Amino acid sequence: MKLKYSLITRRTFLNTLFGGWLFAFFAGTFSALMKFAFPTLGKEPDFVVLNRKDFTDLANNSVKRFPWGGVVGLYFKKADGSVLALKGVCTHMECNVAYKPEERRFYCACHNGWYDENGKNISGPPPKPLEVFTIMEEGEKLIIAKKGVKVELPKA
Amino acid sequence: MNCPKLKNWLEERYDWEGMKRFAKRKLVPEHRYDLWYYTGGITLFLFILQFLTGMLLAFYYVPHIDFAHKSIIEIVTKQNLGWFFRSFHHWGSELCIAFLFIHLFGTLLLKSYRKPREFLWATGFILLGVSIFFGLSGYLLLWDERALAAVRVATGGAGNFPFIGGFIKAFLRGSIDVTGDTLTRFYAFHVAILPIITLLLVGLHLLLMQYHGMSVPLSLEKEKRREIPFFPNFFYKDLMVWLVVLGVLATLAVLLPPEIGAKADPLAPPPENVKPEWYFLFLLETLKLFPGAILGLNGETIAILMVSCAILFFFLIPFFDQRSARGEKSPLFTWIGVIYLLYFLTMTVVGYLS
Repeated sequence: MKLKYSLITRRTFLNTLFGGWLFAFFAGTFSALMKFAFPTLGKEPDFVVLNRKDFTDLANNSVKRFPWGGVVGLYFKKADGSVLALKGVCTHMECNVAYKPEERRFYCACHNGWYDENGKNISGPPPKPLEVFTIMEEGEKLIIAKKGVKVELPKA
Repeated sequence: MNCPKLKNWLEERYDWEGMKRFAKRKLVPEHRYDLWYYTGGITLFLFILQFLTGMLLAFYYVPHIDFAHKSIIEIVTKQNLGWFFRSFHHWGSELCIAFLFIHLFGTLLLKSYRKPREFLWATGFILLGVSIFFGLSGYLLLWDERALAAVRVATGGAGNFPFIGGFIKAFLRGSIDVTGDTLTRFYAFHVAILPIITLLLVGLHLLLMQYHGMSVPLSLEKEKRREIPFFPNFFYKDLMVWLVVLGVLATLAVLLPPEIGAKADPLAPPPENVKPEWYFLFLLETLKLFPGAILGLNGETIAILMVSCAILFFFLIPFFDQRSARGEKSPLFTWIGVIYLLYFLTMTVVGYLS
C-alpha cells in the first residue's frame, strides 16, 4: 500500500537524523570524559589475609588495627579472651571508631556514637551495628572475611 | 525548540529579542581570503579543549619530583582512557601552537593588524608568547630526560639576557639548577597563572574583535562585497570546521601517542641528539649561527639581544606600518612579513633535519 502523504516531513526527518547524531556525539564525548574523571573506584574486599603471628600475643581487652581495603578493620580481643573482627567504621557518617578499654565500648568521636563489645549500636546517632567479620585460621595465615563469603585463596 | 514560557521568562528579565537582533545583525564578510577567518576560531576551540583535558589530567597528576614521572605513567597505564586524554592534551598543544602561528602569519600578510586593530594584534601576540610558555611548562611536568634538558637550555638561554637575565633565570628555576623547585613552579605556571592570563587575554581579544568587526584585506576594501550573518550561517560553518579539527586531533592522539622518556636525572648527561619542541627550533638554529664571542663580547648575549629586537619589531609592526594604517598599499611590510615567515619556516625545517 502506498500512502498518499508522508507521515513525517523531510524537515522532521533531517532534524531527527542530525539531532540524534549530535546527541550521540555529545553523549559519547561526555561519557568518555566521565569515565576518566571517575577512576576505577576501589572495591571493598571480600576477605583479607593477615599474618597470624602478628595477632597472637594481643592482650585481653584491647584492639589491633588491620587494613580492610581502604579502611580500617579492628581485631578485638574481649576481656574474656574471645576474639572478634569488626569494620572500624561508624555506620553513621563513616568516621573511624576507637575502642575505650575502661568502658569496654567502641566510641565514635564525630557525633558521640557508642557501640557495645559486640559492635551493637547502643547510644548516639549510629543507625546500625558495626559490621562483624568471620575469622578463620589456616596455618600461619589469619583470614578475615565478610560474613557468608566463600574464601578462595590464590594458589601460591 | 520552541518554549514560549521560557522565552517570556527571559524576555521579562533580559532584552532577549534585542540580543537576538544583535546576533543577527553581526555580519561576516565573504571573499576569497575568508578562509583565514576560521584560524582564530580553531585556535579558540583548541584552547577550550586544552582547558578541559588539562583539568581532567590534574585530577591524577602529582607535581612532585619523586612522583611526577610515575604519576603520568600511571595515568597512561591505569586510568580509564588515561592514555587517550594525555595524548589528546599533547597533540592539542601542538595543534594549538601551529594554528596560532598560522593565525599570526595570516593576520600579518593580510595586514589585518592595521589601524584600528593594533591592540587586537598585541593581545594575540602576547597570547602566542603565553602559549609557548604553556608548552614549555607543560613539557617539564613530564619530568623525563628530554624535558629536563629542554628547560635547562631554555632557562639558561633566558639567563643570557643582559642585566636582567640572572633574575629571569632565578625566577624561572626557583633554584640554581632545574630541580624539584622548578617543577612545582612550572606546575603553578601551567595550571594557575597562565590559564588566568589566557582567559583574560582571550576575553579581551574576543571583545576587541566584536568591537571592530572582521577585518577585510586592503585589496578588497573598495570592492563591493557580500556579507553573511554570523549567526547562524558563519557559526555553523565554524562548528563544521571545529568538528574536522576534533577528528584530526583525536586521530593523532590515537595513532601517535607521545613517548615518555626515562625519568630525569639531574646528574646524567642529556640523551643524544636531543631536540626541543618544533616551535623552539627556529630560535635554537638562530643561536647556533652566532660564534661564542663577538669582538670580545659574549656571543650568546648578542644573539639573544638581536632575536629579542627582531621579536619586538615584529610585535610593533602595526605601529610602524603607517601606509596600511592610511589604507594604502604597503609592499614594504608585505616583504618584511614574507621574510619573517620564510625565516621561521626555513630555520624550523633546518632544525628538524639537522
